[in-house]
Amino acid sequence: MDALVRFSFYCFTAASIAMVTSAICYIAYAVGRVQVRQARLQTSAGTAFVGHDTRFTPQSVAVARFGTMLAWFALAFQALSVLLRTIAAGRVPLANMYEFSSTFLVVLLVMYLVFERTYGVRQLGAIVLPLAAGMAAYIWLLPAAMREIDPLIPALQSITIMTIHVGLALLAYSTFAVAFAAAALFLVATHWRVAWLPSPDLLDDFGFRAVTIGFPALSLVLIVGSIWAHQAWGAYWSWDPKETAALFTWLIYAVYLHTRTLRGWRGNRGAWILVFGFAAAIFTYYGNYFFGGLHAYGGV
Amino acid sequence: MAQATAGQRIASRNPLEIVIDRTWRFFCSVRVAMAEIALLAVLVLIGTLRGSSVPDSIAVLLPFTRPVVDAWYAWDVFHSLPFMGLLTVISVAIAICTINRVPGIWASIAHPTIATTHGFLRNAERSGEITSPLSPAALATQSRAAIAKSGYRALADERQREIHLYADRFRYARLGTFPFHLALILILVGGIVSARWGFREMEFMLAEGSQRAVGYGTDLSVRLNDFSETYTEQGIAADYHSDFTLLRDGEPLESAIISPNHPFTHGDMTFYQSGFGQAVVMQITDVAGNVRFEDALPLGQFRSADNPEAPAAVIDVPTAGVSMTVIAPDENPRSQPELDQLNLRSGQMYLLLRPLGPSSPIAEPLAITLNQGTPVPAGDLSITFLRETRFSALQIARNPGISIFYAASFLLVAGLAVTFYFPHRRIRGIVSPTPGGGSKLVLAPMARRDWSGQQAFDRLLNNLETSLGAPIARIDRVTEPPAGAAGRQHVATSP
Ligand code: HEM
Repeated sequence: MDALVRFSFYCFTAASIAMVTSAICYIAYAVGRVQVRQARLQTSAGTAFVGHDTRFTPQSVAVARFGTMLAWFALAFQALSVLLRTIAAGRVPLANMYEFSSTFLVVLLVMYLVFERTYGVRQLGAIVLPLAAGMAAYIWLLPAAMREIDPLIPALQSITIMTIHVGLALLAYSTFAVAFAAAALFLVATHWRVAWLPSPDLLDDFGFRAVTIGFPALSLVLIVGSIWAHQAWGAYWSWDPKETAALFTWLIYAVYLHTRTLRGWRGNRGAWILVFGFAAAIFTYYGNYFFGGLHAYGGV
Repeated sequence: MAQATAGQRIASRNPLEIVIDRTWRFFCSVRVAMAEIALLAVLVLIGTLRGSSVPDSIAVLLPFTRPVVDAWYAWDVFHSLPFMGLLTVISVAIAICTINRVPGIWASIAHPTIATTHGFLRNAERSGEITSPLSPAALATQSRAAIAKSGYRALADERQREIHLYADRFRYARLGTFPFHLALILILVGGIVSARWGFREMEFMLAEGSQRAVGYGTDLSVRLNDFSETYTEQGIAADYHSDFTLLRDGEPLESAIISPNHPFTHGDMTFYQSGFGQAVVMQITDVAGNVRFEDALPLGQFRSADNPEAPAAVIDVPTAGVSMTVIAPDENPRSQPELDQLNLRSGQMYLLLRPLGPSSPIAEPLAITLNQGTPVPAGDLSITFLRETRFSALQIARNPGISIFYAASFLLVAGLAVTFYFPHRRIRGIVSPTPGGGSKLVLAPMARRDWSGQQAFDRLLNNLETSLGAPIARIDRVTEPPAGAAGRQHVATSP
């Protein structure tokens, strides 16, 4: 392995550790302090426990700040990892699932941290950072051979358009992950009445705003993909499963956007559609595992 | 609008009118549109999974589903009638929905209702209150100027000693939804135009030095001037180029060099390099010495039963009254030696001639082994294997819908960007006189349960405070969900 590639992998290792610890901090903050109180009953035979009751109280914000700091660390290391790989390969690292997922982590962390700053809420980290850590775990489980750099096969050689196409896909998926986090927290916040979670209106808006980035991005993914297909194969749409999977995801978010105009559909139902949309996005992301077709050569 | 009049007149209307009205409302309903899009999504999912092993896994897990799974694989969803029908319904819905929405949206841009009620201001989740020693008219003028400074349009209307204010920004962005939705129809139109008037020739084989008509009703033909390829050290073709000329009615139009990923475009036609292979140049002359045929035959489209591994070609030559099958030496005779019955050597071609039509110069099929450069008589003809050459395989596609697709893509993305990034913000207010000759302005945003809208209102209030130089009392009626039942209530009361 080339020294740069190895160093890039070490950076990824550091980022993985930072993501896991950051996720723990965020979860601790969102869940709050848990106090288990046991009720005792004094009987003539001694003390008997008759049950316990769990109480949650807000966690110190310092824990969340620590989570944010670690998330920034993770971003810095992951960005460095991708940068080194870019230098080593002489191209943007988006050629196989290892590279694609590594770059995805950078975009996801940027997206999340930007939203965290804009809205000034930290609890969503409790969902996004575990997702990021899960993605890192997935990268660790990929065959080690993918950590090496392969030359691209000829059809993928149109670098610019490929970078735009795939880069926009990463942007779309990461905003959908952020929207999912907002929707999930919305459902938690409204069902379990947790006082220290952000207001449902804020979470609703958070999810919507993420989709206002993700939906145009996914539209562009489909458009740029079509232009690319037209240039490479002479047909801009061929009903390839990977294309139609992305179209499926796109349609789910179109349904979501219509809920915004209807009374009674904002909030709860919208949040469920966002959860479903994210599942569709994951399905599209990992579609290569199920499909053959034109997109199969990326190598999963 | 349409609904209100419908309700009042329903008794006096004839059935046809009712049907038209119901249909119209069906197509205008966003709820129905959502159901249509959801159904489309389901069909797309069914079609997507058809390209995967998922249905098969279901059948393995639950054997009784096998017939359904088989039908699933057999159903070409994307070219099916239900799919096309649904796309048509959605297109009609978009068109009707647009016609229905334009007047209302235009009115809210051009002539918004300025008057509001004290009830609206009282019940708003958020509002701001300015008290001033100025007269109502003076306060209204001053506030309008200050609001306008923040990029809002501020309108006023006096009624019963009070002045009602309406302010908005990005009002034209509300039109963005129209190019977006119409782009969806345009994309389908582009697809239909391409399917109806376009073509896609996947295997257009052209030997070096020869010329061929493009066909498909065009008067174009293509001549391959030169073909070249480069190999990597491992002997894999690294790159290959075709230098060709496009001709109309035999007159050269344009020349170009194409390689994989570097196609050539002429109008709405695109020429792609897809592959290459071996070709053989054959010549047929008659007894008088006239050349009846001379062209290169690309080898490889056809494989002979006698020699399955060998490159071969078959062609009808009406000008000579024969059909020719040419088989080249097997590149890899070890592959199936028992089938290689021709034992051709390099520099030889096996030729099978068959009579074509009753006036053919040969009476019955002939089999000949040709040596390069040596003419062989066959009936009244003389046949020569001149030389070997290469052919280039092109793809030719004509996509007349592509420019519609580009235009639609632009409208789609631009429409979305305008709608999402320039949200129409609206504010209402009333200036009323206070005892003692002063006045009071209460402002509230039309942003129910809209967090961003309320933030935008807060920013506007901050700006107003600075430019008016007076403090603004802020009233916030949004109750953050406490650790009690209010949290639940928050959802239950969605508007
Ligand atoms: C496949 C078909 C459709 C897709 C993908 C789609 C997508 C969208 C999207 C992304 C938005 C949000 C952006 C915007 O406001 O323009 C939207 C809004 C909207 N759509 Fe659709 N739509 C479709 C069909 C329809 C149909 C058939 C109708 C009519 C019944 C409709 C009515 C609306 C309305 C009323 C809005 C709200 C616009 C506003 O807030 O001003 N849509 N749609």
